[in-house]
Amino acid sequence: METIYDLIIIGGGPAGMTAGIYTARQKLKTLLITKDFGGQMAKKAVSIENYPGFEEISGLELIQLFEKHLRSHEIDIEINAVKNVKKSGDVFLLMTADRKEFKSKAVIVASGADPRPLEVEGEKEFIGKGVSYCVSCDGPLFADKTVVVIGGGNAGFEAALSLSNYAKKVYILESGEKIRAEKSIQDQVKKIAKITVIIGSVIQKIQGKTFVESIIYQEKTSKKLVTLEVQGIFVEIGSQPATSFVKDLVDFNEKDEIVVDPKTSQTRTRGLFSAGDVDDVPYKQVVIACGEGAKAAISASIYLQKNDRAQH
Amino acid sequence: MSKIRIFSTPSCPYCVTLKEFLKKHGFEFEDLNVGTDARAREEMIAKSQQMGVPVVEIDGQIIIGFDKKKIVQLLNIKE
Repeated sequence: METIYDLIIIGGGPAGMTAGIYTARQKLKTLLITKDFGGQMAKKAVSIENYPGFEEISGLELIQLFEKHLRSHEIDIEINAVKNVKKSGDVFLLMTADRKEFKSKAVIVASGADPRPLEVEGEKEFIGKGVSYCVSCDGPLFADKTVVVIGGGNAGFEAALSLSNYAKKVYILESGEKIRAEKSIQDQVKKIAKITVIIGSVIQKIQGKTFVESIIYQEKTSKKLVTLEVQGIFVEIGSQPATSFVKDLVDFNEKDEIVVDPKTSQTRTRGLFSAGDVDDVPYKQVVIACGEGAKAAISASIYLQKNDRAQH
Repeated sequence: MSKIRIFSTPSCPYCVTLKEFLKKHGFEFEDLNVGTDARAREEMIAKSQQMGVPVVEIDGQIIIGFDKKKIVQLLNIKE
């Protein structure tokens, strides 16, 4: 007989994994579908210092502990990408990128966010050839090379600090006239001679032959175009919610985040919940994503009980 | 059995997922850390024309990223 799960969780970051731990403990038949474990957290270059119980831990280490905890419970896990979610009566139908189908009575979307692209000439063609969105993955490949981080927020400064362990020279390019990173991180960057911060400048173009060789940026006030020789470009200009597969069932806010009822985490579709960086709850923090995952799990469980009672 | 080599860095979540996927299906592989092993790094860049991880080599064939579909096909994994 075909399996109908009580709940399918989409996403294996802090929100999705916490939701999974909760629903597995409640003996709900749960499937978690994810492309990888860790979400944004595992791709962060620096350690996490604000998750209670851990004074300092790397994103990857913390996520491995989450995953171990999750897998200690009765839960099905599918490493895959969800392409489409539909609702037919009271049942959700999920289709993956390789055309596998799964069914459930409730869904939690915890698919997080993807890095926001630069949308400049040469970006797409040089992905994996110098352009990277994951410092913790690709940073070590740029040993003794010159790299630029696009974005002068906390993520950009943290990326530069991490890259300074490998690269011989690190630039940070910020389009605004002011640095947005917190003062404590700015102070750390100031101490490292090989990091140079360029403000008020916007990247225009990425160029090279097989690999990236340089970028062209424009100084906003003088309008002057400057060529900067770099072998690596790390993009840290924020993220965008990963939601395309669910667009017909939810509402979005102006940031393309899924709108949820803050009390229950339910979207506009009954039985469809959302948690973590993908929804419109403010403050994108690991501990908040975990809390939102737990809330969505409890709400989904209550929804399932009510629905079952209504049917019998 | 197919000869599998994985070029990766220890701090890359996709690489961890890829290795776990292969282990789960009972495959053994050579694990090359291109963060510390300069020779492996040069080899990976030359063979794949990539400055990103993971890169997988299965019987001489290069696969870029955790391309699950292609890996499943090459290794004849039944899911």
